[in-house]
Amino acid sequence: MSNDNPQAGQNRPLPKKESDLFKNVVKFYESKQYKKGLKNADTILKRFPNHGETLCMKGLIVNAMANSAAAAQGSKKKEEEGDKKKEAIELVKKGLMMDMRSHVCWHVYGLLHRSTQNYAEAIKAYKQALRIDSENLQILRDMGLLQIQMRDLDGFRDTRLRILTLRPNSKVHWLTYALSVHVNGDCEGAAGVLDNYMATLEKDSVEFQRNFESSELALYKNMVLSETDGGEDGLEGIRKALGHLDEIHHVCVDQTGWLIARLSYQLQLGAFDEAKETCFLLFERGSTEDHLVHGAYMCALLKCDRETCVEVEKMKGMGTVATLRPLSDEERTTLLHAYGNADNTEAAVTANGDNDSSIAKESLAKTYPRSAAIKRIYLTLLSPSSDEFKSSIDKYCQRQIVKGVPSLGWDLSSMYLMEEQRPKNVSHGESTAATTKVRYVLAKDPVDIKSHLVHRLIVQLVDSYIASLASNNTFPSDATTVVAPSTLLWAWYLRSILHEQAAEYAQGITLINKCIEHTPTAVDFYELKARLLEGGGDIQQAANVIDAGRDLDHQDRFINNQATQTLLRAGRGEEAKQRISLFTREEGNPEHNLYDMQCTWYELELADCWRRKGDLGRSLRKYMAVIKHYQDFHEDQFDFHMYCIRKVTLRTYCKLLKFEDELWGLPHYGRAAEEVIKIHLHLLDFPGKLKEDEEPDYSKMTPSERKKAKNIARKKKKAMASAGEVVGKDDASNKDDSASNTNGNKKKAKPHIIDEDSDGKELLALDHLEEAKKFAAILVRHAPKRISAWALQYDVSIRRGKMLLALQALYKMKAINPNDHELFSRIVDFSQKLSSRSLDSQGHAASQTVIASEFPKLMNENSLADFVTLAVEEIKADALSSLPMRIAVARAMLSTNVGSSSDATSLILDCKLNVRCVSVETCREAMQFMDSLGTKEEGGGENNNNKGRMMQLIMAKFPFAKDC
Amino acid sequence: MGALSIEYGMINADNVEQLKKINQACFPVSYNDSFYEDMAKKQDENLCKFAYWNGFAVGAICTRVEPIPDCPGRSRIYIMTLGVLAAYRNHGIGRKLVTSVLDYFESQKDGTLFNTVDEIMLHVQTSNEDAMTFYGEKFGFEKGELVENYYKRIDPPHYLSF
Repeated sequence: MSNDNPQAGQNRPLPKKESDLFKNVVKFYESKQYKKGLKNADTILKRFPNHGETLCMKGLIVNAMANSAAAAQGSKKKEEEGDKKKEAIELVKKGLMMDMRSHVCWHVYGLLHRSTQNYAEAIKAYKQALRIDSENLQILRDMGLLQIQMRDLDGFRDTRLRILTLRPNSKVHWLTYALSVHVNGDCEGAAGVLDNYMATLEKDSVEFQRNFESSELALYKNMVLSETDGGEDGLEGIRKALGHLDEIHHVCVDQTGWLIARLSYQLQLGAFDEAKETCFLLFERGSTEDHLVHGAYMCALLKCDRETCVEVEKMKGMGTVATLRPLSDEERTTLLHAYGNADNTEAAVTANGDNDSSIAKESLAKTYPRSAAIKRIYLTLLSPSSDEFKSSIDKYCQRQIVKGVPSLGWDLSSMYLMEEQRPKNVSHGESTAATTKVRYVLAKDPVDIKSHLVHRLIVQLVDSYIASLASNNTFPSDATTVVAPSTLLWAWYLRSILHEQAAEYAQGITLINKCIEHTPTAVDFYELKARLLEGGGDIQQAANVIDAGRDLDHQDRFINNQATQTLLRAGRGEEAKQRISLFTREEGNPEHNLYDMQCTWYELELADCWRRKGDLGRSLRKYMAVIKHYQDFHEDQFDFHMYCIRKVTLRTYCKLLKFEDELWGLPHYGRAAEEVIKIHLHLLDFPGKLKEDEEPDYSKMTPSERKKAKNIARKKKKAMASAGEVVGKDDASNKDDSASNTNGNKKKAKPHIIDEDSDGKELLALDHLEEAKKFAAILVRHAPKRISAWALQYDVSIRRGKMLLALQALYKMKAINPNDHELFSRIVDFSQKLSSRSLDSQGHAASQTVIASEFPKLMNENSLADFVTLAVEEIKADALSSLPMRIAVARAMLSTNVGSSSDATSLILDCKLNVRCVSVETCREAMQFMDSLGTKEEGGGENNNNKGRMMQLIMAKFPFAKDC
Repeated sequence: MGALSIEYGMINADNVEQLKKINQACFPVSYNDSFYEDMAKKQDENLCKFAYWNGFAVGAICTRVEPIPDCPGRSRIYIMTLGVLAAYRNHGIGRKLVTSVLDYFESQKDGTLFNTVDEIMLHVQTSNEDAMTFYGEKFGFEKGELVENYYKRIDPPHYLSF
């Protein structure tokens, strides 16, 4: 390259005057004095119009001005800003063309990409800049930030090493380098870097004294050590970390964190006696209510293996080893010694054939008589069939009812444990052990709860309380103590909740009405009544009741949110908006405030509300708002890369990085993304019918069903049209509001981002399959344990004609839950699609081979007809098999001609709705299925008969349902 | 179970609906909206208050200072409503509510609010023997004139003033 090549940089270096001006440009840019910067840049460009670096800086300033204008003004001048941005890009590109050998130009080019979140391109530009100026600290630092944000972990480490080499006397650079080594999985290396750093310090340095930063750093190093592999048993790291804890004790300010770490290491190393000592230290510090410490203490008492200890450590809420898995009699006795009361232990211990009273002296209940956690844990240690359990739970319930604890019902429901077989992790050196282990899961379905021993026992107890309290205001066990007048009230309330758990809505309502009559000022009762009504099928009434409850206390944000949610579910969006806006900022549009506050639950419910009304555009808009929040969460991470290291909160920073990695797997994101996929698939299947349809789930309907649905939709459309007018008016009035505000405060009048495309027309115009594919891919990657994500991945893949991907999705679903109805109907679908496809469209020969050999395994090598027949038999054999499964199999029976429509109907009717997963929703689906049979066959009369029977069953189960 | 220990709380626009619920449960007449609108306007919390027990409002008293019609310059404390939810009666809550207002009067007797107050007055429906016992025997209120046919929609339509 010769010097007269324009790309080699014209007029470089600049004369003294201009070069000073250029320095000013940079200074003004950094201090955000954009106008001054622009002026200086223009002065230079007047003399040297082709000076690349100045052109680039000018572009950067124009871009920054457009951004800050966008932030301040909203999108009113969207196009104008778009033009500005284009101008900025052109300036920078021109500048770069003029001077490709300037690191400044490349750096600016990178910054521009960064500002549009095009990080990959930005990194490339930075790398170019570094090729020219390899020691530019600013560029290196910027690149490091992008690399950790993008999780280019290797690149991040290399960059940080270069920075550290250039500036080895900075603490931040040492720490960041250590962290970069750590995130690359080299824990030993990271610990070594930290050691090297400490070795550079003076002996009396502040880093060796007891303060927050040295404490965090020491604990971070400890964490790194504990993650090191090594030793025959893989526990060398833990051993080192345990030893290291003693070395750092004098600098640690987070004493609890220090003790918890020690406890975890001791347990994993099997040092149970020491672990117990650590637990006592923690209890002494006030952790007696921490179930995590109790869980660890119990592991130490039982001398659990490492896998179990780690499992217990990860349990949430009130989980301990006693709620993780069934205990043996021996284990029960050991734990009862530790947790029993002096008086009741004796009974329990005697019952277990052991009478060593000396152990009872160790009892925690005696040492900490006021601890609620210890009393609660005691309950989980008793066998539910024992008398001791009955009398203890009796005492426990009585105490809480007298106090009037509203959460008692929820608290007790965590004792409805059911055993489940799980595959066991194969651990070191263990080959012959059983491949499954028994774990507890919580009973959630009303059918399971109703038959659960603990539930039945509590129901019995509470019924006896109510009888006794109602007649003479005493508990049955103590006829002399007259209790407060609210005791009966809370007994009713608890019984009502027990009814709710068992889906006995009518009985629940009777009792909660008594409660409301007794004390009409308590918000809790209205909330429960609304829940019972909602469960029982009358969402409108539920919304009225909870709204009346809300009216009792306008300062109760919880009930206000509940009322908003129920109103949205009742399709009363305007009322809901009015309620929630009682708690948003007063000025401006509440919708804006809710978006700015990232109020995800509200937006999800509102989106569901629009979807049910058939306004898919608005619905999509709201779901996408939620998705945008998650993108923002991810973007927000950027601010922490530098901040956390500067503040030495490295342990928390590691947690943050992990959280961000798992961000797209979080449930709310999943809910939004799944609905987005469903809407797009629906629009793909039924193009051009945007507003006519009321439910996106038409894909499984027969033509006659669709016809019927369209009739309903036509009526809805009329209603929508008139509703639309109202909404339109509302928008107009909002505009008036904002217009009248302009004089008062300019900021108030800014159009908000959510006003763009508020009815979602742009979203509806997107490529449906492409959008669905995009979100399905994100979901299966980040939420691989979510069965519904794989179901949608199947739906997308099959529409794209990607049979192999579809097959993979089916396999993934099977691995999560082989008995899922969504899986069953998709296997049937796949088989049917496979046989109906013409030979030439079957795709690649190799994939055909794979499908031919792998797919039959999903049907256990049966023909489709046999597969469905077997499913029918399975349902008949399992009296509790779920309603959705029954519907899916019934549908399959018809579509594969395995059975007649009356066979299919009886599959649903015979269960009498006393099976799993019966809700208003699933019943509605069952009715839809039966509706679809009506015109199909000769036996229309019989079907009407069946529908009548089904209606009766539904009304018995959901007494408040009006439309099924 | 004897006397319940209660706490007092003020009545305001955010919780006036609870007063309505208590009154609806306690009285055969329903007060018109303007009564509650008045109550929502931050009344003196010593004259109008809720009684809370165990976290919930179980009773309320609403009183005001009003001029005595035929005595210019003199005034009285008038008990507009006093109600305790049925389930919580006979635990001394009503008595505490009245006493708390009386105590307030005693402590502020010479203040601007009370220095013209000569008497404390209320009305009771003639059939409400519980109330007459309550005021007459426990507090020593004296029976005043009988107003006939005051209430239009409930029976008996008379009330007594104390």
